[in-house]
Amino acid sequence: MKIAVRNLTRNRIFSFINIAGLSLGLTCCMLIVLYTKDEVSFDRFHEHKDQLFRIKVTMSDDRETRTIGSTNAIHGPSFKEEIPEIKEIVRAQSNTFVTRKGNELLSEDVLFAESNFFNVFSMPLLSGDPKSVLSNINSIVLTEEVAEKYFNTKDAVGKTMEMKVGDDFERFTVSGIAKKCPQNSSIQFGAIIPFEFQVARGWTDKEWLGFYMNTFVLLNEKADYRSVIPKLNQVFKSKSADEISKIKDFNQKISFSLQPFLDVHLDSDVSDLRNGLGRGSSPIYAYILSGIAIFILLIACINFVNLTVARSLNRAKEIGIRKLVGSQRKQLMYQFLGESFLLSFLAFALAIVLTLSVLPTFNELANKQLALSYLFDIKLVTGYFALFLFTGLIAGFYPAVVLSGFSPAQTLYNRTKLTQKNYLTKGLVVFQFALSVCLVIGTIVIYSQFQYLTNKNLGYNDKNLMSFNLGRGKAAEQFGMVVKEELQKMAGVESVAAFNGSYNGTLGDIESGKIGFGYIGVDDDFLKTLQIPLVKGRNFSKSFPSDPTQSVVVNEAFVKQAGWKDPIGKQINFEWKNQKMTVIGVVQNYHYASLKDTIQPLLMTQDPNYGLGTLFLKLTGKNTVETVKAAERIFRKYIPYMPFEYQFEDAKNLKRYETETKWKEMITLAAILSIFVSCIGLFGLATFNAETRVKEIGIRKVLGASAASIAALLSSDFIKLVLLAIVVALPFSYYAANMWLQDFPYRISISWWYFGVAALLAITVAILTVGYQSLKTAMTDPVKSLRSE
Amino acid sequence: MIKISNLHKIFSTEEVETTALNGIDMDVKDGEFVAIMGPSGCGKSTLLNILGLLDNPSEGSYEFYGTEVAKMSERQRAQIRKGNIGFVFQSFNLIDELTVYENVELPLLYLKTPPAERKEKVEAALTRMNMMHRRNHFPQQLSGGQQQRTAIARAVVATPKTILADEPTGNLDSKNGEEVMSLLSQLNAAGTTILMVTHSPYDAGFAHRIVNLFDGKIVTEKVHV
Repeated sequence: MKIAVRNLTRNRIFSFINIAGLSLGLTCCMLIVLYTKDEVSFDRFHEHKDQLFRIKVTMSDDRETRTIGSTNAIHGPSFKEEIPEIKEIVRAQSNTFVTRKGNELLSEDVLFAESNFFNVFSMPLLSGDPKSVLSNINSIVLTEEVAEKYFNTKDAVGKTMEMKVGDDFERFTVSGIAKKCPQNSSIQFGAIIPFEFQVARGWTDKEWLGFYMNTFVLLNEKADYRSVIPKLNQVFKSKSADEISKIKDFNQKISFSLQPFLDVHLDSDVSDLRNGLGRGSSPIYAYILSGIAIFILLIACINFVNLTVARSLNRAKEIGIRKLVGSQRKQLMYQFLGESFLLSFLAFALAIVLTLSVLPTFNELANKQLALSYLFDIKLVTGYFALFLFTGLIAGFYPAVVLSGFSPAQTLYNRTKLTQKNYLTKGLVVFQFALSVCLVIGTIVIYSQFQYLTNKNLGYNDKNLMSFNLGRGKAAEQFGMVVKEELQKMAGVESVAAFNGSYNGTLGDIESGKIGFGYIGVDDDFLKTLQIPLVKGRNFSKSFPSDPTQSVVVNEAFVKQAGWKDPIGKQINFEWKNQKMTVIGVVQNYHYASLKDTIQPLLMTQDPNYGLGTLFLKLTGKNTVETVKAAERIFRKYIPYMPFEYQFEDAKNLKRYETETKWKEMITLAAILSIFVSCIGLFGLATFNAETRVKEIGIRKVLGASAASIAALLSSDFIKLVLLAIVVALPFSYYAANMWLQDFPYRISISWWYFGVAALLAITVAILTVGYQSLKTAMTDPVKSLRSE
Repeated sequence: MIKISNLHKIFSTEEVETTALNGIDMDVKDGEFVAIMGPSGCGKSTLLNILGLLDNPSEGSYEFYGTEVAKMSERQRAQIRKGNIGFVFQSFNLIDELTVYENVELPLLYLKTPPAERKEKVEAALTRMNMMHRRNHFPQQLSGGQQQRTAIARAVVATPKTILADEPTGNLDSKNGEEVMSLLSQLNAAGTTILMVTHSPYDAGFAHRIVNLFDGKIVTEKVHV
C-alpha cells in the first residue's frame, strides 16, 4: 500500500489521468445506476402491488392494431360483479376546473377517483382516514403542496375550496391532506374528488364502446390474473353484444386484458398515461444511458491499461529486483492489483463527490427528481461497491498479468524491449477513439434531426400565433363571438379564428367504403389566420348559409386515403350522426400534431354542435406584451369566471420535442466526456512515448533533424491510430444513426459531412493533444537528453 | 557447494545465434571467494546469472548444494534463490520507491519472517553496513557508496549461503570501492561463499581464486594466496 501511494505521488501526470478518467466513468455509472434504480422502483411502495392491475384494451381492424389503457365507466363495475377474483375496482378520470383563491381565478387538474382509492393504493395521507376520506361526494383531498397553494397551510382539513362546475362555483370541503406523490409513483395528483360526484351529475354513460378513463382492479390474494383475462372478454362479449349489433358494419376486434400495475411505468406498448397516471418512461432510455456510461468507463479503464502497460518498462527493474529477492508471480500480481484498487478507490471517492455535485443538473437532463437520500440505500451502496471492485479488477488485471511475468534476468540487464509492437495498446487506442467518434457522429445526427424538427415548415404559420380557451360555460357560448369581434378590431391583431379546441377521431362512409379520420370544428377565418393554403375548391363562407350543416373541407391526406381524383363534391357520411356532408375544398397537408406522427386524414366542419371554444389570434409581432394584456382585458370583460391562460403556438410546438432536446444535451455531454477521457489517455501515452525516446531524439537532433520533423515523428504513430479509429467507427455509426432515424416519419437524410466533421474533430483534438507534447520534447536541448544516457 | 559441468548458454534472436558460454566446468567450495574476470563480452555476467539461478543454461549441469537446478522452471529457481543467494550489482538495483529500511527488509517479507524477527535482522544488517542512520532515506538521497552498502545489507539480511556480486565497485570511487570490498571480505571470513565478477585486478586480489574467461570458456584459474 505504501508503494502504491508513493507511486501515485511520484507520477502525478499519470495518476491524474487515471484518477480523472476513472472518476468520470464511475460518476456516469453511478448516475445511471441511480436512474435505473429509480426506473425499476416505480410503484413498488404500494402494499398490494402484486395484485394490482390496470385494464387495457386492444383494438384491431384491417389496418392497425393498438392497445390503450383506457376504459369506460361501465367496465369496472360490470367486471367486478361477474368475476369473483376481482376484490376491488378503482375508476379514475381527470378534469381541469377553474378554482377561486380570493379574487384570483386559477385552474386545477382534479382527479375523480373511487372512494376506496386510498385503500387500494398506498398513497400516504397526512390527515384523514383512508377508509372515509372520499365518502362524501362534495369532499376533496388535497396534496400538501396544493393545500399550501390555496390556504398557505398544510392544515387545511375542514376548509372549503370553490371550483367552477358547469357555470357555477361549487364548494368542496377538504376532508384529507395527502403527502406529495412520491417521485417514483405513476399515480400523480394534486387534488382528488370522489368519482361518485361524476355519477351523481350524470356525467358517466353506460356504453361499452367508450374509452375515457382508467380502471384499476385489485385481485384477491391468490388469484392468478392470467385466468381472469378470458373472463373479462366473456363478460364484454355478452354485455356489449346488443350495443355492437346496432352499429352498421362494425369490424373492430376488441379484447380486454390486465396490465400489471408494476409494468405501467415502463410499458411502452401501452403508452397512454393520463387520468391520474403520469411520469411514464421507456426502458430504451435506461439502455442508452447505461451504454453511454459503460462506454465512458471502458474508455477510462482502457487508459489505465494502456498507461500501466506502457510504463511497465519503468517498473521492470523493480519487478526484477522483487523476483530476485524472492517474490512469486502471484505476490506481484496481488501487489499490482492492489495498486489498481487504490487508484480505483480514489477515483471512486472523487466520483461520489462529483455525483453529488452534478445530481441537480442530471435531474434536469433526465427529467427526474432523484434525491441525495437515494445514495444511502443499502442495495445501492452494495452496487457501488461492486462497481468499484469491478473497475479495479478490469483496469488492473491485464497490467498485473503482464508486469508480473517479466523475467528478472531480462529486466535487470535491460534486455527487455517492451514497447516494440504493443498491439494491445494500439488496439485499445483505436477502440477508444472509435467509440468517441461514434458518439460525436451521434451528437451531430441528433442535433441535425432536432434542428429539422424545430425548423420544418409545418404547413401553417405558427409565428406570432397565440391561442386561448374560452371555456365551456354559458358565458363562452353567449359571448365567444363577441370576444372574437372585439379582438379583431384591436391594434396588433391581424386576424382571429375560432375552433373547437381538439382533434378527435371517428369513422365515416364514402363511396369506396369506410374511412377513419380526425375532425375539427372551425369558423370561416381558420384557414386565413393559420395561413393554411387551399389547394382545391373553396373555404367556408357566410355567402353559403348551408355550409355549417352540409359542407366540409378536407386535407390532402384525406383525399389520398379516399382515393379521390376529383374530391370537390364528394360526399362523406359521418358514422355516428348519419349525415351526409359534401366536400367543398381541399387544404394542403399541415402538421397539426407532432412531427413524430405522420399527417393523418383530416376533416374540417362548421357543425354548430361542436362549439368553438378556442380562439387563435394572429398578432403583428409589434408590441406583443401590450396586445396580450389588451386581449386579456376583453376576455375578462365578457368571461370573468375563467382564468386567461394563453400560449404561443411556436413555443407549444417546441415543447413537443422536449425529449429530443434532453437527449441532444445528454449525447453531447457524453461525446465531450468520452473525447476528454480518450484525449487525456492519449496525452499520457504521448508523454510516455516522448520520455522513452529521449535518447533517440537527442541523437536525431545532433544529426540535423528539425524540431518540426521530430514532432511529426513522435505524433505520426498516434495520428495513424486515430485515422484507423475513424474508419472503424463510420459504418457502425451510420447504421446506428439510420436505426434511430427510422422512428421519425419526417427525418433528415444522413449527409457525408456529418462524418467529415466528426473525423476532422477527432483528428484535430488528437493532433493538439499529441502535438503539444511532441513539440515540447522536440525543442528540448539534445545535450540534456544525451547526457542523462 | 556449487558444481557446474559442461555449461553452455546460447542466445538466439531471429537472425543471430550467440554462444555466450561454451562448455564451462567449475566447482566452488563452501566459504570460497571466487573472482571471475575477462574482457567485455566474454560471458562473465551470463555465467553469474546462471550461477545465481536467474537464468537457465542451454546445455550442461548445475548442482547447487546437491540439487540439480539446470532445467528448473523460474518458479522453482525462485524458491531456491529465496534465502540462499544474495545479489549485489554494479548499478545497486535498489527500489527507488522504498526507503533503505524497506529495501533491506524485502527478502525477509518474501520469506514470511515474523515482524519482530524481521526488525531484528534488518537493524542488524543495517548496523553492520553502517546504514542505520539513513534507514528512512530513499535511494535517490544516498551517495553511491551508501547505496551499495544498502544493497549489500539487503543481500545479507536473510543470511544466505552465497553472495553473487556483479562488478560491485564499478560505479564507485576508490574509497567507497575499498570499503565495499572490505565488507565482502568480512562476510567471506564469516563463512559466506562469494562469487564476484570484476574488471578490477585490485578487487580480484581479495578473492581466493581468480577464474579468467574468454569467449565463453575458462582459460585460466589462479589460486590467490
